[in-house]
Amino acid sequence: MKDATGSGRAAVLEVNDTTSGAPAQGVFRERARSLCSACRQVFGMPDYERYLAHSAQRHPGAPVLTPSDFFVQAIERKYGRGGARCC
Amino acid sequence: MNRLVSLLLWPAIAIIGAFSFAGLALGRGESVNAVWLVTAALSVYLIAYRFYSKFIADKVLQVDPSRPTPAVRHNDGLDYVPTNKWVLYGHHFAAIAGAGPLVGPVLAAQMGFLPGTLWILAGVVAAGAVQDFIVLFVSVRRDGKSLGEMIKMELGPIPGSLALVGVLAIMIIILAVLALVVVKALTASPWGLFTIFATIPIALLMGCYMRFIRPGHVGEASVFGVVLLLVSIFLGRVVAEDPTWAPMFTLSGTQLAWALILYGAIAASLPVWLMLAPRDYLSTFLKIGTIVALAIGIYYVAPKLAMPATTRFLDGTGPVFSGKLFPFLFITIACGAVSGFHSLISSGTTPKMIENESHMRLIGFGGMLAESFVAVMALTAACVLDPGIYFAMNAPAAIIGTTAANAAQVISGWGFTITPEMITQTAKDIGETSILSRAGGAPTLAVGMAQILGQALGGKAMEAFWYHFAILFEALFILTAVDAGTRVGRFMIQDMLGHVYKPLGNTEYLPANLLGTGLCVGLWGYFLYQGVVDPLGGINTLWQLFGVGNQMLAGIALLLCTSVLVKMKRQRYVWVTLVPTAWLLITTLTAGVQKIFDPDPKIGFLSLARKFSDAAAQGTVLAPAKSIAEMQRVAFNNYLDAAVCAFFVLLVVAMCIFAVKVCMQALKQANPTAHEIPPLAGTQGALA
Repeated sequence: MKDATGSGRAAVLEVNDTTSGAPAQGVFRERARSLCSACRQVFGMPDYERYLAHSAQRHPGAPVLTPSDFFVQAIERKYGRGGARCC
Repeated sequence: MNRLVSLLLWPAIAIIGAFSFAGLALGRGESVNAVWLVTAALSVYLIAYRFYSKFIADKVLQVDPSRPTPAVRHNDGLDYVPTNKWVLYGHHFAAIAGAGPLVGPVLAAQMGFLPGTLWILAGVVAAGAVQDFIVLFVSVRRDGKSLGEMIKMELGPIPGSLALVGVLAIMIIILAVLALVVVKALTASPWGLFTIFATIPIALLMGCYMRFIRPGHVGEASVFGVVLLLVSIFLGRVVAEDPTWAPMFTLSGTQLAWALILYGAIAASLPVWLMLAPRDYLSTFLKIGTIVALAIGIYYVAPKLAMPATTRFLDGTGPVFSGKLFPFLFITIACGAVSGFHSLISSGTTPKMIENESHMRLIGFGGMLAESFVAVMALTAACVLDPGIYFAMNAPAAIIGTTAANAAQVISGWGFTITPEMITQTAKDIGETSILSRAGGAPTLAVGMAQILGQALGGKAMEAFWYHFAILFEALFILTAVDAGTRVGRFMIQDMLGHVYKPLGNTEYLPANLLGTGLCVGLWGYFLYQGVVDPLGGINTLWQLFGVGNQMLAGIALLLCTSVLVKMKRQRYVWVTLVPTAWLLITTLTAGVQKIFDPDPKIGFLSLARKFSDAAAQGTVLAPAKSIAEMQRVAFNNYLDAAVCAFFVLLVVAMCIFAVKVCMQALKQANPTAHEIPPLAGTQGALA
């Protein structure tokens, strides 16, 4: 787990790019990743990986925010004006 | 194959539902198992979802899966993000479920479990879920515009501005009443207050962790946060039993009110990453976790409903809130049956995340059904309690006195036999010194939940833990709502002030910000303080004011939906929104007028104000006021409440007139006149 820290995205790309290796583990890791992503979205937490995926797909080659910049901006966007919330 | 499953499944659900209702109906005179109630509700939801929401989607709205949604058209990876429908369902549910569905049904339980249940079920299917679904649809077809903007687009600029003022007014009332719920729950409760207080440093710690130590690692921070929260519940007991610490966390109602006002002002001025966001995560975890635990708990423990199906308080003499079943049941239970506030969420972030129009049915209609289910569980938890305990917790001190002996005598006199020992023992079981007059829903629900969860897990020994867990769960998201709501209110106030004097509208200008925050906190703080010192316990006044306001907003949202349907030339189906609109207008206006003019001082604001000002003029001091000056303040507050209520009534009448005019014009036109984004609008952000 430790070695994946900080290079999480590289690890995903590797799994996706290579068809050989340990596909079962890759699938498992991919599932776990998408489960975490789903949870973040349900709880309204910033999802950096999804942002990276979006940038890579929509604006390939364009500079991306660092994790901490993204985090600050995402929270500001969501809560800056209070955020609608129910009784 | 699918057809066969459907052919067998739906009759089976209908039969289960019918049996559950039979269980409820035939069990009169003996106590009914709560499982019947919950199962009947679930069957109603499934059938309503399968048939009625499908009818609305296919026939009334004619949802078009091939039409690009705002999320698809403007996909920016930030605000506009096409989201998996189940994920968005969870997200939407987390945004709409708050304290409302937990408080209203608990208060309404004074009339028995049946009236509340029937209104929650009928209301959600005919009004609440319809409103949420159609507002979501209308917003998705308008690029995710907000309710105010849509009213401006479809009904005109004056109704648009009026609606915004109305939203600000209920926002103020709702913040006050939510804060009052917290005050009622934490008064003289060192254990409770300590755990709630502990959430502040925990949130600050989480905020700094996510910002500086491990930027963006929200999941890790949340795990620490939840663990620390649970530790704080155990520590709370230590604090409450400690002779030096306990007095520091034992505050009176007015002290707590001031503390909350101060808290609101500071919390709403801090950077959002520091406290609001981390606490929101914590509160969302607890909220979803507790709701799931409660559902499992009810099925696992299968408790009996101790409250009768109906009580004598149908006649309007109830101690929790005054007024007859019609119209007051329908404004007391707002959220869970129909909540105007949802129209703000359904036209807020959710429409910007809808991936496909066909998902709106699940998210809009289905999301509201889930909230309604929360309301049914809250009602169940309150009705599982011994009715004597329920009334001891919810009747104001002016009626039942301040000692267990006195309360037991009064409540037994109503026909709900209870002994003083039972009252004191219940307080002891949950680790509190007193349970008397803790109106506001949260403590009652917490005792009910503690009994259910205690039976499932940990037994009697754990009841005190579960009680404080439940209080923490409710107070946490109420405080988050106070923080976020104060910010929303501040921006709305600044928007309005900006029209008067431009620099005040500048949200980057610190003095203007402070003024906005100060005004917002001052407004809700005023109503909160008034509620705390209210002779009838505050909830009786504020919750009903909130109910009128919230239902009025629902009425406005449904008027918008009705006008849009007419403008789309779907007048054939206009009854889908017209029937709930009519019902809401009838109940809200009746309740509003009664709240203002009823000659009974327990109901009418004006008669209570007159009673106090007349007595003050003659030099008599009426309890709980202690001086002539206090008497005059009570009178003034009631005049003010009457004015707020009159404002709501007039607002809804005005909106109704605007909507009728718009509909008449639209009917004369041969073609649709609704302002939708055309289906073939560019998909590459051409409209951004």
